[in-house]
Amino acid sequence: MTALRLLARDPVAFLGLLIVLFAVIVAAFAPWIAPYPDDAFESHIMQRLRAPSAEFPFGTDNLGRDILSRVILGTRNALAVAVTVVLAAMAIGVPIGLAAGWREGWLSESLMRVTDVFLAVPQLILALALGQLLAPGITAAMVALALTYWPFFARTVFAETRRLRSSLFVDALAGIGASPARILFLHVLPNAAPAVLVRATIGMGFTILTAAILGFLGVGAAPPSPDWGLAVAEARQHLPEAWWFPTFPGLAILLLVLGFNLLGDGLRDAADPRLRRSRR
Amino acid sequence: MAEILGCSALRVELGARRGLLRHRAGVRAVDGVDLSIAEGETFGIVGESGCGKTTLARALLGLQRESAGEIRLEGRRVSGLDPRAARRVREAVQYVHQDPGAALDPWWRVGATLAEGLAIHGVTARAEQQARIAETLAAVGLDPALADRYPHELSGGQQRRIGLARILLLRPKVVILDEPTAGLDLSVQAAVLRLLRDLRARFGLTYVFISHDLSVVRRVCDRVAVMYLGQVVEEGTAAALFAAPRHPYTRALLAAAPHLDGRESGPSLPGDPPSLAAVPPGCRFHPRCAEAREPCAHTVPVREAAGPDHAVACLRWREVA
Amino acid sequence: MSVPVLEVRGLGVRLRTEAGLADILDDVALTVPRGGTVGVVGESGCGKSTLLRAILGILPRGAEPPRGAILFEGRDILADGAASARGRIGFVPQDPYLSLNPVFRAGDQILEIMRRHAKGPRAGHRARILDLFRAVQLPDPEAALRKYPHQFSGGQRQRLLIAAALACEPSLVVADEPTTALDVTTQREILALLRGLVAERGLSLLFVTHDFGVLANVCEEVAVLYAGRVIEAGPTREVLDAPRHPYTRMLLACHPDRATDLLGIPGTVPAATAQPSGCRFHPRCPIIRSGCPVEPPALVTLPDGHRVACPWHADPLPEVADG
Repeated sequence: MTALRLLARDPVAFLGLLIVLFAVIVAAFAPWIAPYPDDAFESHIMQRLRAPSAEFPFGTDNLGRDILSRVILGTRNALAVAVTVVLAAMAIGVPIGLAAGWREGWLSESLMRVTDVFLAVPQLILALALGQLLAPGITAAMVALALTYWPFFARTVFAETRRLRSSLFVDALAGIGASPARILFLHVLPNAAPAVLVRATIGMGFTILTAAILGFLGVGAAPPSPDWGLAVAEARQHLPEAWWFPTFPGLAILLLVLGFNLLGDGLRDAADPRLRRSRR
Repeated sequence: MAEILGCSALRVELGARRGLLRHRAGVRAVDGVDLSIAEGETFGIVGESGCGKTTLARALLGLQRESAGEIRLEGRRVSGLDPRAARRVREAVQYVHQDPGAALDPWWRVGATLAEGLAIHGVTARAEQQARIAETLAAVGLDPALADRYPHELSGGQQRRIGLARILLLRPKVVILDEPTAGLDLSVQAAVLRLLRDLRARFGLTYVFISHDLSVVRRVCDRVAVMYLGQVVEEGTAAALFAAPRHPYTRALLAAAPHLDGRESGPSLPGDPPSLAAVPPGCRFHPRCAEAREPCAHTVPVREAAGPDHAVACLRWREVA
Repeated sequence: MSVPVLEVRGLGVRLRTEAGLADILDDVALTVPRGGTVGVVGESGCGKSTLLRAILGILPRGAEPPRGAILFEGRDILADGAASARGRIGFVPQDPYLSLNPVFRAGDQILEIMRRHAKGPRAGHRARILDLFRAVQLPDPEAALRKYPHQFSGGQRQRLLIAAALACEPSLVVADEPTTALDVTTQREILALLRGLVAERGLSLLFVTHDFGVLANVCEEVAVLYAGRVIEAGPTREVLDAPRHPYTRMLLACHPDRATDLLGIPGTVPAATAQPSGCRFHPRCPIIRSGCPVEPPALVTLPDGHRVACPWHADPLPEVADG
């Protein structure tokens, strides 16, 4: 909990935490918060492209749907995509990083080379290709994102494991007869956790951004789902008259990505063991 | 006294790699060491950094695999095993790290770390664990309440005591202490040395005391081996060795230690400790030795008795004395 | 008598920390005479590093403006900023492994120090660096110029740092435990080198250490620091042979060269955020009197020139039973 206390003392990171918490609350209660929860799927052609007003604070879109409601409902999609992708990437990357970092020799070498290959794959292009292969949609986008993001976890965990493997406390554990499994799962993994957490937080922001780009390119979420990237894409045809149409979903993307990145940076500082030790 | 831990012609190579394409020879960090440590004594190993004292300790412990030679524990041969098996048969030997704070998992409370050692060794009942931990913490002079602290919340002296408690819980017979007083203030050092002495008497321990601090070694060790470039160049009772050092290296080492009275005695030792990667032929010490003569450059000195329980590996020890 | 090179008067340093206001140094007085070698000795946490930092003008962030005065060659460097003294005080740091930038050549690092302090042609600097390298007895000075720090051994790196400290032709060199990271054999060489340089170049030396043996080897005068105060000072031989303050007496009794038994000192050094009232040693003192926790004892000069901050310094210490 020292990390949390440190975070509270870092106003910028704390702002990030507030943004993220706000988004989580909005996502959890979206159907109750949104003024027009049915606007996720219904359209009202009669009131299309209305400017922001008391009735529709963010205005309405090309199908007459309340943009505020769709931004709120979209939060849920954005977070769900981010969490799923990051969890999937962790599920692949963390065990690979652990194995490659602990062992030495051909296994470790080949695991890390495979990781490098995946790191070299351009994310958007893979997503577009997978979209063609699996039929474009949010599932294909998520598979592509997870497949291109796990190497970051593998590398982070690899580096941490290598560092910890030669640390004195691991040596001392070997000295008192601890088994490799015990050392790996009870000592190395928890010590690597802060780095993984930081990577995951930054990865959330990154995933939300990329998912929005994919939505914008038409290979992410499909209409009429309330996706921020999709909204920005649809708004292109109505510019510059309906400025509010892309602005508010775009701001939502900006804010949430910023929130995750600020939080990630703050967590990195808070979890830095050198900083933690020096506080003694 | 009976030997509890010993080795003959022990050799340890570090950094050797046997790859598919590359084949790299290692350096011999320990090269032909014979030791015999008697039950209940404190056996000192001294030498400059890089002389192989820590590698020797790790090989005795079983954490570092020996490449040749024999290690004996309580009369049984315990060498020639893979590291895990080696560690298992040498449970009676335990090791206290030079930096005991870094030897504790920073995320684990001290109590959990202590309990873990017991769990590894089959003591899983929570009540028994707690009882033994409390007893051992008291034995090393710590408040049992410290078990709830994290390692970084302890002082250097407390960390050292925790390091001791951790291995005492495992009921070892031989404890290898790696620089147990390095980095400690004088007053804390005195308390730690006194604690070590008390624990030895109370638990019937045998110590292997690795240190570069000769004044400390002189005070606490019964016998001392001086290492230079992976070899023991002189060995004997602390009394004999400090009163009449025979090897020129031992003399230089003793002369270099600063004393309270500010005196400087004997020749200084020019140059830096040489590297294991380029071991000189003949006597390994000859390039730095003020007493070196022509034969020293090509004849390898053998161990000779220089008195009762005092051996030296120098071609010219008789002339030098 | 000439003006001392360094005179510290009533120096007080307080540091704002998470745990509160840390009273690191309190009313510290210290004089380094011209050509003199003065040691500051104490256990970790006694404030010796902070004293050095205050003199070098590099107090950490969070430090309140120091009280008192630090006179360097007669001028108060606390009052007019450390700028006037910068470059006239050479600094030899503790750890030769951490104190050199690994990506620059040794010669360039020292050249940079020189250029910051003295203008002149490059060639002149180069010749002076070679002189310095010879003075600190670095083998093969020409080659050393082009080497990177990792190509030197620990002892050679410390020589390099001594050369760097001398690069700006200082009148005072301050050294912060310059030999703790070295082997005894190398330590002896480095100490001999420092003594030689001080004598040859007429330097003054302020030497911080926790090792009384090293102190005896290098310093003519010593100040013993405890919990941020000077509790005893005087000629090194005097203080080591006949310590007066109970703390110094007990500490020296812990030295393996001297200890009749390994007694230690009960208790621990107080935290800088919770300094005891009165004499700061009173909670650990075996000869404590009723007045000790009330009034901080002044540093009194005895007839033999030895100064001690304990009115009861003549009392014998009780024999501690061996437990």
